[in-house]
Amino acid sequence: MMKRRNFLQKTIFGIGVLGFSSLPFGLSRLLYPKANAALSNYSTLPGALADPKAFIEACIGCGLCGEICPPKCILFHKNDGGAESNTPYIHPAVKACTLCGYCMEVCPTEALTVTPIREVDMGVAQIDRAACYPWVDKGICGACVAVCPLGDKAIVYDFGNFYRPVVKDGCVGCGQCVEVCPEPSLPIRIVQGTDSKVARHGVGLNQQYKWQHDDRRLKY
Amino acid sequence: MNKLIIKVQRHLNKLRWGVLSLVFSMLILLPFLHLYQTFEAAHAYDLLSPSEKSISDTMEWLSKPFVKDPEVDLNNLKGTTWSGTLFGLKLSDPLALVGQISAGKTVYMPFLITALIPIILSIIFGRFFCGWICPATLIYELNDNLATWLRKAGIPVGKKKLDFRLKYLVLLMGIIISAATGMIAFAAVYPPALIGREIYYAIALSGFGSGMVFFLLTLLFDLMVTRRGFCRYVCPGGALYSLLGHFRLFRIKRDVTLCNDCAKCNVVCQFGLDPLRDDFTQECNNCTACIAVCPTDALSFTVSIKDIPNQGAGHLGHEYKRLHNIQDDQGPK
Repeated sequence: MMKRRNFLQKTIFGIGVLGFSSLPFGLSRLLYPKANAALSNYSTLPGALADPKAFIEACIGCGLCGEICPPKCILFHKNDGGAESNTPYIHPAVKACTLCGYCMEVCPTEALTVTPIREVDMGVAQIDRAACYPWVDKGICGACVAVCPLGDKAIVYDFGNFYRPVVKDGCVGCGQCVEVCPEPSLPIRIVQGTDSKVARHGVGLNQQYKWQHDDRRLKY
Repeated sequence: MNKLIIKVQRHLNKLRWGVLSLVFSMLILLPFLHLYQTFEAAHAYDLLSPSEKSISDTMEWLSKPFVKDPEVDLNNLKGTTWSGTLFGLKLSDPLALVGQISAGKTVYMPFLITALIPIILSIIFGRFFCGWICPATLIYELNDNLATWLRKAGIPVGKKKLDFRLKYLVLLMGIIISAATGMIAFAAVYPPALIGREIYYAIALSGFGSGMVFFLLTLLFDLMVTRRGFCRYVCPGGALYSLLGHFRLFRIKRDVTLCNDCAKCNVVCQFGLDPLRDDFTQECNNCTACIAVCPTDALSFTVSIKDIPNQGAGHLGHEYKRLHNIQDDQGPK
């Protein structure tokens, strides 16, 4: 009887010690609640590992990519994100990547690897033809085509429909077009994942996605 | 010559405070320099707000003697103590390497090489990072001074003693949690990583993140539970550095013939060690405060791979004299 009580006491003590030693990790999880990331149109960094899970495993959260970014477009999940806490992201509607490549060079881990500009895969731009000004004959614009750093490999005017932009295969998803687009509802956006190529010429996407109309007013 | 070396060691603590302040001030300066770089890269000085203009002007004045092209040259000095680049030399914390390996279950050679220099230095010098570089140490030591003032003012401060082996368990749990969840759990609890990151968030990204809340909680833990409690009992990085420095070359040795048992070293040791009876073990963070405070220069660094065993009472102290029946007015035989 005595022995069993001793054993029980030791077990409870062991569990208590283990619980105490994992307390800081649990506490830090509580401080970074999981945000509703599906609503916000964040994109990954240039040269990032394609699998988001592998990216979280590799990223040590040092913030070097953000500290070296010349346009300061790289933001961090500083008080949200759950497992993604302190990992970087880009919010192209606020500030878009200029594809300078400093972040890929400076990253100490596998999370960002040096990639040629045309092989970067941050997603693909997608134009909502039901909202874009030239596509609905509300005027002429062409801002996205003018600003694109990759030129006619990535975005061109539609054949015979001048000023109507069409995304091509060369798009790497840097998001310069999203930043420059004057339409408040942002008819152009960066889409990630395997189905992005299929959805490229979608029409009436407003019904499918909940668009954040106040993206531009966000300050970071 | 030997005496001179011992005399010089008394000033190591001042040098340490200089290094700590330098590291901390660099952590504050680098985000401002990055802001200046972004303003330069945008080529839009006229569009800046007045406060941004003042930042730009100050940083231009500070960096002008050292750099030609701020957009490129300032990239030579980036990062925090968690991971950073110094003129092309990438350095990372060994704990970051441990976290990455346990989370990703892969070894990425370029990253391993960045952590190699800190690992080798820790094997030689032991837990020197904790005492000499860690930006959180500066705040924790100031916090400890605050605790002293509070105690003087009559406000009770925590003085509990826990088991120092707890932090090795925290390291182990961190490795297990990292491996199970696939995220690097250490990044959110390791104070040097937190501090560097949060200072950058506060200056460049307008406001502290949640990590600062965690850091303030550790400060409260130090005040209310035990002196320097986080470093001694919880910090996983401290555990890793202690393990790496188990066979370190440089240890503090007490010269028994000079020791007078005044016990000032025990009072000043924030890690709660026992320099008075040669009990340093791998927990010592080489802060050299005991060397600086010793009135008879009895403590000094020596080259030794093993811990120095207890040498008993100091020859100038009362206890030794009582044991050997020496009269008080005479010196030791």
